Amino acid sequence: MRGRRVGAAGARAIAGVSRSLPSDHSPRSSGRAKFDRPDDSAPWQLLLPRALPIPAGKRLASIALGKAALPALCFARANPRAALPAAGSVGWLLRAEDLCPRQMLPDPSGPLGDEMTVWGQCDALASLGPPAPHMETEGPVDVRHVQWLMGKLRFRWRQLVSSQQEQCALLSKIHLYTHGCHSDQSLGHLSVTEAEMLRDPEGGQQVSGAGAAQNLDLAYPKGLHFCTPGMGPRTFWNDLWLVCEQPGLLPGDWAAPLDPGGASACSLLFPLRVLLRTLEQENRRLEAVLAWRRTELVFWQWMDTVLGTCAPEAPAAASQPTFLPWVPECGDGELELVVRELQTLEEELREAAERRRVAWEAKARGCGRGPEWSATRRASQETVEKELGALQRRWEQDSGPAQAHGPHRLVRREDGAAGDRDLRAAELIRTLRSQEACLEAMLRQLQGQCRQELARVAGALPGLIWIPPPGR
Amino acid sequence: MSIVTVQLGQCGNQIGFEVFDALLRDSQSSHGLCCKRENEAYQASCKERFFSEEENGVPIARAVLVDMEPKVINQTLSKAAQSGRWKYGQHACFCQKQGSGNNWAYGYSVHGPRHEESIMNLIRKEVEKCDSFSGFFIIMSMAGGTGSGIGAFVTQNLQDQYSNSLKMNQIIWPYGTGEVIVQNYNSILTLSHLYRSSDALLVHENDAVHKICAKLMNIKQISFSDINQVLAHQLGSVFQPTYSAESSFHYRRNPLGDLMEHLVPHPEFKMLSVRNVPHMSENSLAYSTFTWAGLLKHLRQMLISNAKMEEGIDWHVRPPSSGLPSLGKKSLNKDLHFNTSIANLVILRGKDVQSADVEGFKDPALYTSWLEPVNAFNVWKTQRAFSKYEKSAVLVSNSQFLVKPLDMIVGKAWNMFASKAYIHQYTKFGIEEEDFLDSFTSLEQVVASYCNL
Repeated sequence: MRGRRVGAAGARAIAGVSRSLPSDHSPRSSGRAKFDRPDDSAPWQLLLPRALPIPAGKRLASIALGKAALPALCFARANPRAALPAAGSVGWLLRAEDLCPRQMLPDPSGPLGDEMTVWGQCDALASLGPPAPHMETEGPVDVRHVQWLMGKLRFRWRQLVSSQQEQCALLSKIHLYTHGCHSDQSLGHLSVTEAEMLRDPEGGQQVSGAGAAQNLDLAYPKGLHFCTPGMGPRTFWNDLWLVCEQPGLLPGDWAAPLDPGGASACSLLFPLRVLLRTLEQENRRLEAVLAWRRTELVFWQWMDTVLGTCAPEAPAAASQPTFLPWVPECGDGELELVVRELQTLEEELREAAERRRVAWEAKARGCGRGPEWSATRRASQETVEKELGALQRRWEQDSGPAQAHGPHRLVRREDGAAGDRDLRAAELIRTLRSQEACLEAMLRQLQGQCRQELARVAGALPGLIWIPPPGR
Repeated sequence: MSIVTVQLGQCGNQIGFEVFDALLRDSQSSHGLCCKRENEAYQASCKERFFSEEENGVPIARAVLVDMEPKVINQTLSKAAQSGRWKYGQHACFCQKQGSGNNWAYGYSVHGPRHEESIMNLIRKEVEKCDSFSGFFIIMSMAGGTGSGIGAFVTQNLQDQYSNSLKMNQIIWPYGTGEVIVQNYNSILTLSHLYRSSDALLVHENDAVHKICAKLMNIKQISFSDINQVLAHQLGSVFQPTYSAESSFHYRRNPLGDLMEHLVPHPEFKMLSVRNVPHMSENSLAYSTFTWAGLLKHLRQMLISNAKMEEGIDWHVRPPSSGLPSLGKKSLNKDLHFNTSIANLVILRGKDVQSADVEGFKDPALYTSWLEPVNAFNVWKTQRAFSKYEKSAVLVSNSQFLVKPLDMIVGKAWNMFASKAYIHQYTKFGIEEEDFLDSFTSLEQVVASYCNL
């Protein structure tokens, strides 16, 4: 007989996490695609909006959420891989985001670099914690449905990883090919956004003409228009090559101040700015959502306490259903009464706590003597101290070189020089890997606990035979 | 996103050729019933998925050809080159001069490890050529030695080396009265291994396709080429570009991924089968017209009654009425041969496709109790017609279609195994009786899972 009763909370958790991973998340591939064909192989129509506000940072948080939800179900095994590729990571920097974009546009209202957000790593992950298992009263859910949802989550995960790899390969190619084109020597190469704006300024106008960039699918059909045959066959790399051949092109054009007579510059830049502003808004909204997610647990716990204190008053309210709740005028006398009541309550609580503590101490003292007891106590103290020390060391390691949080621009450097606020990708990868190991250990521990619990439950029911699901 | 095809053995290579040919021919046809720009988008999407570009403009199939005999591969390569419209890569094939003697163990334990590096190298080169890589499409038969044994071995390797990429195995189910005496052994070993390492098993039964050729296409002397062309037609109507959503205007990027996510997320239920309507010879096509209502009605009844093709459908089979308790439903199913589905995907192509009404497929009675139709059923509609059919519909179904054939093969293999017939040919090459027993166990579990829907 197969145990099929599983809480609905598990199912909902997985379904929710699965929804939070985008299904058609699709950073486009390299520039060998032909761009004047209105089909799904042309990457750049989508690249402009996508490159800006939702890079690895959000995915990291989503990944963290997904991994935290998984321990609730025993047989799951996520296969997380860090956001950045190992190969070729030596030369990457994350540059704190306040540089060249400002110099490029007269009115810079958004990031133009390849943005990656560095999270307060421990904050986002530590606040999640393992979800408390609890029984749902909605009724049993078929475990096959849960397994179905798990499978969908796995597929989305794999596609996410593939898309991520694709995006990294793409970034790498662009950074390589545009080396030497940027006016800012410390950056040295163009970001994806900058490259696209150079290649096709009208494209930016068309895309922004679609209205809000929130629905990226909407941007796409508009993008179809600017790839009509009338514009002539072009490829991304051809254009970029032209741009790179004329190194003076970039600073001169972009640094030119706006003048009313320069209609063409205006008409090109204004929609871009609108687009950038919209994207920035979306970014802020997403960050707000993520901040909410981090604090959601605390909020609900607080709500619980609020509802808990409100509960005793419910009967009184129910006895006068037609009256709206009203705040009684607080006379001094009433206030004094309340204060006195509180004080008596406090006294009672203190006395009760004291009584309990005395009783416990007596009990503990009774069995707390003897060499074995002190030996055990010493041993457990030592383990705690060791673990604490390890934790502290790890925290220190993690917060090593003062890591700025927030958006960073991905920059490729051959010489390895780095500014004060710059982060090396290799170090970041190392940190992420150690966190990954941490989380995996936690997952394994929780899985072990689940298995023990299941074994206990199974042992308690005679005649129950466990058939484990087929291994993957 | 691109798909790399691995063609294994005689069967795999012959079918693979027909598939690429059908895909390209359809994408280049002018009977698409849509505007020129739409056609160009369709063509570009198909090309990016299955072909790579060469300097002189001849598309090269994204494929790796593997066989232990040179004859079929050479034939395949030359047929492709002769067409002039496309070809295989110059260094995309691996063959030996030895053959596998219809012995799964020989393919899996000898050929596989011996040629692992060369084969995986070829595959890796092909994957590296892709700008964005979606997954593998592995074409093989179950009954022989090369396709089945090496196929199982290669799929396992792909699982290890490309764990994030998708893998779909196109499996040819042998004739019930097939020529290879150990085909049932080969089949159960293949299926049990693939169930562990593949994501989806798309099955085509030789018997069913043979009937389609005989009854629907009216072919008198049915050759393997005819059978393979019918198969290629079905696969083409699944894998050609489709729109990504009702309101979008661009083609789906990752059909393989979307298909798998809709149909095979559950690790116990990985067997898919394909049904398509209409299917007829080109001569008859010129004189036929269809309505969506008629086509979908037939397709739905084919699903419910477990029919393999459009002719001879049993219209008496009905979905059980919703008032019955689940136990009653099961016994009723068994009596009326009702085919319960886990998940279905219907792909519609052609004229007035937006008006096609698929409500009949959303009936909860068609599906198992633990999945709602809103999650279990998906439909993809594309205006561009496929392969000269003004309207065509194909159903990819994860349902009880294959329970009976699987049960039969397991039964026959078990009978042979019980008398230890031909076992020594397998133990000679490292496949022990325990491996057989493991295969039987896992397949019995698959049959039981499907029966308990």
